[in-house]
Amino acid sequence: MVKIYNDYKDHADFLTVYVREAHPTDEWQMKSNVKEDVCYAQPKTLEQRVAIANDFVQRQKYPLPFGIDDMSNTADLAYSAWPERLYVIDEHGRVAYAGGMGPFKYNPEEVRAWLAKRFGAVTQTSSTAAPPAAKR
Amino acid sequence: MSRFWKWTLGSFLGLVVLVFAGLSFMAGSPRDVYGLVRYALPHMHRGRLNPGDDAPDVRLLALDGSNHFHLRERTGARPLVVVFGSYT
Repeated sequence: MVKIYNDYKDHADFLTVYVREAHPTDEWQMKSNVKEDVCYAQPKTLEQRVAIANDFVQRQKYPLPFGIDDMSNTADLAYSAWPERLYVIDEHGRVAYAGGMGPFKYNPEEVRAWLAKRFGAVTQTSSTAAPPAAKR
Repeated sequence: MSRFWKWTLGSFLGLVVLVFAGLSFMAGSPRDVYGLVRYALPHMHRGRLNPGDDAPDVRLLALDGSNHFHLRERTGARPLVVVFGSYT
């Protein structure tokens, strides 16, 4: 997603929303997270959630704008977000693209395709956008 | 127990073992099968938002831990790509 952000940040806005952990140490921990030293218990307080979100942004040098879901998981429930999911919301506040449930149906390339259809193909190596294939 | 029921029960149990073994292989380990069933399956029926639906507004907390903003504040001028996820 970072590459897509870098390619299209002049055309679209981006927002990452941190929701409850998918593989915390006290639930369904993955071996890959142990190997990469990404080990956190499921936050019980908002302060813990904020701390993990900040760890993520700092360790990954993550450039996208960031927001954090509340402890009632309001955003998660509204968008069926857990464990990860992608959306595009258009200028009228309507869902333009709704991705599937991650990780198996989490497909950033579908978002890139939506953006490319709207704004033309853009890559970091080529800052010149091709003409949009369609208005929407 | 009749021979028929013994065979039926045996076949069923064998099938359960085979499915569990197959899922364990696909998911990585028996523990991952448990995680899949316990944590992922309840969410698989979710996702009722479709293109054309109004995007729900939600109040989010900024990284500083004190300021709040609404998702809809970020929409209007340009399309908004929203990436939901966590660290783990």
